[in-house]
Amino acid sequence: MALTEEPGKPRNFQERIGILQDRIYDKIFHNYIWQSIFRSGYPNTPRNQMLVVATNVFLHLHPTRLHRTHVKITHTYCLGGLTFFMFLVLTVTGVLLMFYYVPSVDRAYQDIAALETNVKFGLLMRNLHRWTAHAMVILVFLHMMRVFYTGAYKPPREFNWVVGVILLVLTLVLSFTGYLLPWDQLALWAVTVGHGIAGSAPYFGDETQLIVFGGYEIGPNALIRFYTLHVIALPLLAAIFMAVHFWRIRRDGGMARPL
Amino acid sequence: MAIEAPPAPGRAPGAARPRPKREREEEVLVWPDLVFVEFISAVLFTITFVILSVLINAPLLNRANTDVTPNPSKAPWYFLNLQELLLHMDKAWAGVLLPTIALGFFAAIPYLDRSREAQGIWFGTKYSVRITIITAIYAIFICGLLVAFDAGDRTKFEYATRWIPSCDNSAQHVGVPCLRDEAGAKHLGIVTTKDFSKRLQFSIPWPDALGTDDGHLDWPRDLDRIPVPFNNVDCCYGSLHLWKGMNLNIPDIMANQVIPLSTIAFFTVLIIYVLFRLGWVRTRRDVFITMFTGVLTAYLVLSLVGSFFRGQGQALIWPWEIKVDPG
Ligand code: HEM
Repeated sequence: MALTEEPGKPRNFQERIGILQDRIYDKIFHNYIWQSIFRSGYPNTPRNQMLVVATNVFLHLHPTRLHRTHVKITHTYCLGGLTFFMFLVLTVTGVLLMFYYVPSVDRAYQDIAALETNVKFGLLMRNLHRWTAHAMVILVFLHMMRVFYTGAYKPPREFNWVVGVILLVLTLVLSFTGYLLPWDQLALWAVTVGHGIAGSAPYFGDETQLIVFGGYEIGPNALIRFYTLHVIALPLLAAIFMAVHFWRIRRDGGMARPL
Repeated sequence: MAIEAPPAPGRAPGAARPRPKREREEEVLVWPDLVFVEFISAVLFTITFVILSVLINAPLLNRANTDVTPNPSKAPWYFLNLQELLLHMDKAWAGVLLPTIALGFFAAIPYLDRSREAQGIWFGTKYSVRITIITAIYAIFICGLLVAFDAGDRTKFEYATRWIPSCDNSAQHVGVPCLRDEAGAKHLGIVTTKDFSKRLQFSIPWPDALGTDDGHLDWPRDLDRIPVPFNNVDCCYGSLHLWKGMNLNIPDIMANQVIPLSTIAFFTVLIIYVLFRLGWVRTRRDVFITMFTGVLTAYLVLSLVGSFFRGQGQALIWPWEIKVDPG
């Protein structure tokens, strides 16, 4: 294009389209509202790319750069990240399920059955919640194996490994407490097995059953306890420990590397 | 997946930087390199799970009914291994103590193995790959063997101990160890570990001064109610009242605690020793690789046995024979 030509005068159809595209782009991304949300445009210089990671509330869990080997899929297989992603999906689908579910012995089963048939996408939400819950348990084990076999628990990451073990337990207990909520035969008797196991604790078996399950058999007390643990207490704890977990990764100098 | 990092601005050779040059040049930016990978894997997982959820429905059986017990009833798969252990040993050990010890062991690994070698790369020590593979195969084999041993009648493992004679029920004291058979039933060898306390019988001459009244110490008859010291003192409150009136059942402790636990200890030490003698286990890290692999494999194998090989009454059967009686 000759530079001498007057700007703004399209010579052919393609240029017209080009100008139109620019206008649309301008209207969408340079308007008052958009710019009030996103303070800068797409980060296309290394400096801006680091800034966006450092200043964005969601991205700032990351460092701004990391070692080349750590972005190789085969180093982490994204397992920790995917575990976290499962947790997010579970939170979203779980909140949706909560709209329709009442944790009482009279209603629980009926609510789940109604959710499956009467609520649009209710069945899909329940299925998603169920399968991602299983996936999270599997992924957290795989993540632990990845960390172990890469020797990433070694100094200075000892404590973060312990935080991880706590997260493993929380994941299992979260999954187990959720198991009771549909209040069907599968739920009741699976949790009864767990109830028996808890009751076999030496000396404190009875106390454990009373405190955790609210009685010597599975009934309304167990249901409301499991519900409360499942939808608020344990997710909150897990979120806190995950925050510590992620923060520690950075405090410990990023992910482990050979000396 | 790693994309070449764009040259950072102002990276003139020799310019002062916070970290050595080599280090920096090996680094990439989180945006776009990592964020991209994370985004793609999140999208792939979302798609996979949406498809899965469209195709397969979560189970919903009949409404819970405490009067109707399905047979078998099973814990969720990640606890089925504990349910499986319950069949083989004392319930406190299987359900609470062993899992607690395993978790404590996991948490303690970094404090026991403090060397900084071999971190940040997969299988950093010289022989760790083969240690892992051999241990996993070994653990699968041993778990299978022990499960099979404990269902001796179904797996025919009891044949191996058929040579132990049947007990003569009329004899006062049986000198030679023997196995009691149910009246009228044919002679069986050791069917489960519990037979050590339930069916095994023998006696040795024993001075009455040491607690017997007929000159013989009979297993299990004379040993199943050994009072613990001070079990008649009225003192304590709370859980400690359990001490009052407590008697030890030695044959039961033997069959449900000593034998299963020493079996676990024995096979753990054995594999570590063998790998050590082979020269493969050379550092603490290697010892922990062996133990970690063993524990995780056992966890998985026992879950699989519980899921696919346990039918009504927790009998050991083939997966295609499992029929659930809804109660
Ligand atoms: C809810 C469960 C968990 C979540 C969401 C989670 C998340 C993460 C994430 C995102 C990372 C970054 C690297 C990666 O993706 O692999 C990480 C690293 C790490 N995780 Fe976890 N994790 C969980 C459980 C565990 C468990 C069970 C352990 C071990 C017992 C563990 C120990 C570690 C350690 C030591 C690191 C640092 C790895 C390194 O430096 O290379 N985490 N975790």
